[in-house]
Amino acid sequence: MTVRRSLAYVLLVVLSVAVLVPFAWMVSSSLKLDAEVFTVPVQWIPAEFRWSNFTTIWERIPLLTYLRNSVFLSLTITALQVLTGSFAAYGFAKVRFPGRDVLFLAYIGTIAVPWQAYMVPQYVIMQKAGLVNTHLSLILLQAFSAFGVFLMRQYYLTIPDELSEAARLDGLSEYGIWARIILPLSKPALASLALLTFVNTWNDYMGPFIYLTDNKLWTIQLGLRSFVGLYDAEYAMIMTGSVLSVLPILVIFLLGQKYFVRGIATSGLK
Amino acid sequence: MTATLSAPAEVRTTPRRGRSRTWIGWSFILPNFIGFAALTLIPVIASLALSFLDWDSYSTPRWVGLANFERMIHNDNFWTALRNTAYYAVGHVPLTLGAALGFAVLLNQKLKGVQFFRTALFFPYITSLVAVAVVWNMLLSPDLGPVNQFLRAIGIDNPPGWTTSTTWAMPAVIVASVWRDLGYYMVLYLAGLQTIPAELYEAAQVDGASPWQRFRHITLPGLRPTTFFVLIMLTISSFKVFDLIQVMTEGGPGRATLVLSQVIYREGIVQGRFGYSSAVSMVLFVIVLTITVVQFRLQKRSEA
Amino acid sequence: MRRHLVTTLAGAAALALLTACGGSAQPAADGPQTIKVSLWNYATTPEFKAIIDGFQAANPDIKVEPVDILADDYAEKVTTMLAGGDTTDVLTMKNVIDYSRFGTRGQLLPLTDEAAKLDPAKYSGLKAYELEGKYFALPYRQDFWVLYYNKTLLKQAGVPESKLQNLTWAGYADLAKSLTKGDGASKVYGAYQHTWRSIVQATSAAQTGGNLLGGDYGFMKDQYAMTLGLQQSGTLLPWATASSQKVSYNTMLSTGKAALLPMGTWYAATLLADTKSGKTKVEWGVAPLPQLKADGKVTTFGSPTAFAVNKNSKHSEAAKKFVEWASSEAGATAVAKAGVTPSLQSQQILDTYFALPGVPNGEVAKKAFKPDNVVLEMPVSDKSSDVDQILTEEHELIMTGQKSLDDGLAEMAKRVKNEVG
Repeated sequence: MTVRRSLAYVLLVVLSVAVLVPFAWMVSSSLKLDAEVFTVPVQWIPAEFRWSNFTTIWERIPLLTYLRNSVFLSLTITALQVLTGSFAAYGFAKVRFPGRDVLFLAYIGTIAVPWQAYMVPQYVIMQKAGLVNTHLSLILLQAFSAFGVFLMRQYYLTIPDELSEAARLDGLSEYGIWARIILPLSKPALASLALLTFVNTWNDYMGPFIYLTDNKLWTIQLGLRSFVGLYDAEYAMIMTGSVLSVLPILVIFLLGQKYFVRGIATSGLK
Repeated sequence: MTATLSAPAEVRTTPRRGRSRTWIGWSFILPNFIGFAALTLIPVIASLALSFLDWDSYSTPRWVGLANFERMIHNDNFWTALRNTAYYAVGHVPLTLGAALGFAVLLNQKLKGVQFFRTALFFPYITSLVAVAVVWNMLLSPDLGPVNQFLRAIGIDNPPGWTTSTTWAMPAVIVASVWRDLGYYMVLYLAGLQTIPAELYEAAQVDGASPWQRFRHITLPGLRPTTFFVLIMLTISSFKVFDLIQVMTEGGPGRATLVLSQVIYREGIVQGRFGYSSAVSMVLFVIVLTITVVQFRLQKRSEA
Repeated sequence: MRRHLVTTLAGAAALALLTACGGSAQPAADGPQTIKVSLWNYATTPEFKAIIDGFQAANPDIKVEPVDILADDYAEKVTTMLAGGDTTDVLTMKNVIDYSRFGTRGQLLPLTDEAAKLDPAKYSGLKAYELEGKYFALPYRQDFWVLYYNKTLLKQAGVPESKLQNLTWAGYADLAKSLTKGDGASKVYGAYQHTWRSIVQATSAAQTGGNLLGGDYGFMKDQYAMTLGLQQSGTLLPWATASSQKVSYNTMLSTGKAALLPMGTWYAATLLADTKSGKTKVEWGVAPLPQLKADGKVTTFGSPTAFAVNKNSKHSEAAKKFVEWASSEAGATAVAKAGVTPSLQSQQILDTYFALPGVPNGEVAKKAFKPDNVVLEMPVSDKSSDVDQILTEEHELIMTGQKSLDDGLAEMAKRVKNEVG
C-alpha cells in the first residue's frame, strides 16, 4: 500500500515539474529584455532580472481597464452560461417531450462547426442588431453555447430518477425539483462548468478581437496582442502580461476545487 | 430516436399530460435556446447554406450548386488536411481520454498536496500558447533538444527530427496537445467522479474486490455519461484543432500538419472564398455528426 | 419533410440576411466633420500619428479618429467589418495582396484621377496599385530590403565598412563565413537570414527578373544553393532552429549574435527607438542589399503601404483629401520624420530622413536608402495568395532538408500549375 502510494507521489511530482516547464519559461521571459527572450540555446535564468517589466506594463497599456473588462465579461458570461445551461439541461435530461432529441443533436451539431466558418454570418447579424463594439455582443455570443447544456445534461443523467420521483410525489413542480433537488446535487458539475467557461472566456482572443473595436472595451488578451507589431513583437511584455493574466484564473481554480470532494453529490441519497 | 437518448426511468406520460410536458420541457430550454438559436444556430445554418453559393463576403451570393464540393474533391490541400486531421484525432482522442481519466482517478483520492497536483496539471491549459510552442520545440529540437540527447544516449543513432520532419511533426504535435488538454478533461472527470456513491466502494471493499475490479465495475460504469461527454467533446475539438498547430508548426513543415480548420480559415476569412470554405466546414460537420450519432447508439447499446 | 422545410426556411433567411448588407455612399456634408481611419497598433506605430496630426493641422475643418486594430490579424478584422457594412472612411492597406482582394471585390472607391496627379517616377510602388487601369489606393510608405550590419564585429575582423557598398552575394557569403566565430552559447554567426521565404525567393526574383507567379522557379536555384551552403557550414543559424524557436531577427542583430542581417527598412525604426531608449547597445549600420554583379547598381525588393477609401464611407470627399495628403510632399515629410521611408522619393525627403538623430548617414547608408530599382515583393494577381502559400510550404521543406533543392523547385512548379492553374 505504502509502496504504491509513494510511487504515485513520485509520478505526480515528476509530472508536475514537467508540466510546469513552459510556465517557468514564461515567468523567466517576463523578467527579460525583448531581445533576450528567444535565444538559442534557451536562457532559463535572465542575465539581469528586469522586475521593472511588471511596473512598465501598467504604463504601456491601460491594463487596469483591460482587466476590469475581462473580469466583467468572464463573470457575466460564466453566470449566464451556468444558469441557462443547467436550466436547459434539465429539460433535456429529465423531461421527455417530442422533438427533444433532434433539438439536442442540433445543439451538438453546432459545436462541430468551427467558429472560423460562421463568424462572418454571425457578425452580420450582430451588426444589423447594432450590437457590434459593445460588451453585450460578446455576452450574447458566448453565454448560450451548447457546451454548458451538454455538460450539465450528461451530469443530470447520473442523478437517480428516484430522487425527483419522490419529490414529485411530495408535490414539487418540475421547476422546484430543479431548484431544490437537482441543482444542489450538481455542485461539482456546476463548478467545473463555471471554471472551464471562465477560463475559456478569459483566454478568448478572436471573439473580442472581432467584436470590440473601441480601446476602452478591450480585454486583457487584446491588450497582450497589442505588443505584436507588423514585423516583430515585444515578447517580454507579452510574457509579463501573460503571467499577470494567469493569476485570476488561479484564484478561480483554487476556489472551484473545493467542490471536487467526494461525497457531496451523493449526500442526498442517504 | 427518442428512446435512444433518454435515461431509463422517466416519468410515464399519458397523451394528455404529454402536451403539458412539452410545455414544461420547452420552458426549461427556451431561455438558453433563444440566445443559442439567434446567434449560433442561425449563423451555423447560414454558413452551411453558403457551401452551395459563391460568396466573397461583399457582393451578392451566387448559387453554384455543387461546384464548391467539386473543387474540393479535386483539391490536394483538402485531402492532405483531411488525412492529417484524422491522424491527429486518432492519436489525440484516446491518449487524452486515457490520461485525463487516469489522473482524475488518481487525484480523487485523499492524497497530501492533491490541490497542488490538480492545479499543476491544469496549468498547461492556461499557459500562453507561445510559451508552450517554444518550450516543446526546444525539448524536441533535433540536435540539441534533451529528448534526442536522451535517445542518442540509449543508443538510437538517428533520432527523429520531430517538428522539422514531415514524418514526425504530427506525433510531436499530438504529444504536445495531449499534454495541454489533459488538465481540462481531468476537471470534467473529477466532477463526474463525485457522482459515484461512496457506499458502492465501501461495499466492494467488504466483498474483497481488488482496486482494478473496483475501477472496472464501479468507477467506469459510473462515469459513463461523463465519458460519453468527454469522448464527443474530444472528438469534436480534435477535428477542429487550430490554435496549437498554428503556433507550433503553422501546418508545416510543408503540409505535414495542415488541418481542416486551417484550410477553412485560409480559404474563408483570408482569401474571401466563403462558399468553398463553408463546403469544407460542411464536410467537417458531417463527419463529426456521424461520429456523434454512432457514439449515441453505442452508448445506448451498452446501457441496454 | 418537416426538416426539409426548416432547412429551406433557414437557408432563405440566411440569404436574405447576407444580401441585405452593403450601403451606399453619401455625399459629404458641409461643416466640420469627422473621418475614421482604420489602422494598426496606433500607440507603437508613430507614422500614423504623424500623418493624422499633420493632416488635421492642414485641414482644421476635418477631424480624424483612428480605429485601432491589432496588427496581427488586421486584414481578417477589416474583411469582417466590411462584410457587416462598416462605414469606416479610410482603410489602411497593409499589403498589396490584401489591397487587390478588397479592390477587385469593389469594396473601395476608385482613386484613379488622384493617382494620375502623382509622378510614377517619384512614387516608388505606385504602379503596384493599378488594377486593370484603375487605382483604388495611394501609397504613403515604401519599405525595401537592405543589409544591416554590426559595426563592432566588422571592425574586430578588420573589414572596412566601405566593402559593403558594392557587395555581391558571393562576397556576402565569403564575408559571412569569415565573420563566424565561437561555439555553443557564445557563437557569433556571420549572418542571420530570417525564416521568411522572401529573403531567398523575392531577392532572386528581383535580381534575376524571375516571375514568382510564373510556374518555373529555376531562377531561385543559385540563391537557395548559397543559403543552404551557408547553413551547412554553420555560418547561418539553421532554419529549423530559427523557425521552431521563433528566433527574432532583432535578437540576432541587437545582441551581437549575428554580424550581417538582410532585412526591410522598417527595422531601422525599431533600431532607432531601441538605441535611443538604451534597450540595445549594438552599433549598427545599413548597407545596400548584396547584388548578383558588382556593377554599382542596386536592385532590391520591397512593398508599399497605402490608404484607400471605403465605398461605404459617408464622408468620401474628406476621406479622399486625407489619402491625397498622406502621399503628398507634406505627408511624406511627416512620415520620414517619424523614422519611416515614405513612398515619395526626393532628395529633400531623404535629407529629412538622414537628419534624424541616430540614422546612419555615411556613403554606404546613403546608397542603401537610394536603391536604383525596387521590385514589388510579390506580384499582384488573384493567384498571389495561393501561390504564396505553396511557395512558403516548399520553402520550409527545402530549408529543413526534407526535400532536395531540385525536388523542391520542381514541386513548386508542379503545384503552382496543378493547384492554381
